[in-house]
Amino acid sequence: MSVLDQIYLRAKENPRKVAFPEALNEKMMQAAYETGKEGYIIPVLVGNGNEIREAARERGYDEGVFTIVDITEEEYKKTLIDKYVALPQTILKEKALNRRMQNPLYYAMVMQAVDEADVTFAGIDNTTGDVLLAGQMIIGLKEGISTVSSIGLCDIPGFQGSEGSLLAIGDSAVCTNPDANQLADIAISACDTVKALLEWEPRCAMVSYSTLGSGQGELIDKVVEAVKLANEKRPDLAIDGEFQFDAAISPAVAEKKVNRESQVAGKANVVIWPDLNVGNVGVKLIQQFGHADAYGPMLQGFNKVVCDCSRGAPVSEIKGNIVISAVRAAGSN
Amino acid sequence: MERKELETQVINMVSTSYKKDAASLSTATLFKEDLGGASIQMVALVSEIENELDVELMLADASGCATIGDLVDLIEGEM
Repeated sequence: MSVLDQIYLRAKENPRKVAFPEALNEKMMQAAYETGKEGYIIPVLVGNGNEIREAARERGYDEGVFTIVDITEEEYKKTLIDKYVALPQTILKEKALNRRMQNPLYYAMVMQAVDEADVTFAGIDNTTGDVLLAGQMIIGLKEGISTVSSIGLCDIPGFQGSEGSLLAIGDSAVCTNPDANQLADIAISACDTVKALLEWEPRCAMVSYSTLGSGQGELIDKVVEAVKLANEKRPDLAIDGEFQFDAAISPAVAEKKVNRESQVAGKANVVIWPDLNVGNVGVKLIQQFGHADAYGPMLQGFNKVVCDCSRGAPVSEIKGNIVISAVRAAGSN
Repeated sequence: MERKELETQVINMVSTSYKKDAASLSTATLFKEDLGGASIQMVALVSEIENELDVELMLADASGCATIGDLVDLIEGEM
């Protein structure tokens, strides 16, 4: 059974409420409908109720599959605002929130913040920047985390790592040039993400062009400092480095290059790149030469699961990402 | 609102968002060089401006301001 099959199975066992603020979009509505009808999620469509109902009818969907939340309905909106502003550490006050909630993206995230939804799934009409801003304003970042980042899950044919053909990698998409503190946060968030999604015990390697001091220079210093900070912040996690990529994932190379005890060297299931140049090139190499399927990017660092899909994504990919985000939300609870 | 009053208000909001002493800030303070900080702090600042001054700024525009004075100019333009 493939990893995606396993994730689909887990989603069905415990379907979560996924809020769709771009429900009128044809591809998004189709993906929401199919994942809902197939029992993976409970789709909550957020927007103008009449327009959503009309579009669903025109497209031949059974309205009973959806929960429709009409953002023009004042009473429910007021209930949400009251609950939201009562939460600790929210940054928008009632008046500003009321205005922002005219936008379904913000409305959906407020629902999520007050536990009326488990996930907000967007990105087909809104830009990544829109989704990240709304997420930071409404959902906020996890305690102690300073940056939003992402990981991807690679299924690499022929690779025999510590999780079979699977390897989680990050950040290949969001945080361009992290400082040591942000890099530490990316590693910590990545460990939490794979725990929630895959129930793995994370072994996280922070990679560079040096293994434990074999090279020197400021590019390496950043990674060394990040490992130290990550271990100080979360001593419960196995985060280690700096390692070269081969020393991180190959037991034979680790045996030669890593001359001390390590829970991670040679058996990493999470690899953290030093910056986005490496991350983006790295994922393309894995895809092009390794013929891997790469799932994601999955946003991380938020208090709750926020998902930004690619604007060019086909319905099949959107469905996969919806189910992945729902399972992450279930695993986070 | 008088310019001077607006400057004082913005400096106080920057002080809260970036956790710096307001007395150490002026309109010449540079966001990147003097304050450092991650984008989350700019998000907090933009939200605070929206709460207190009822002005909705684009994050990209606010992030493009080099100094606190530039941010005050931007807010004035939106008021």
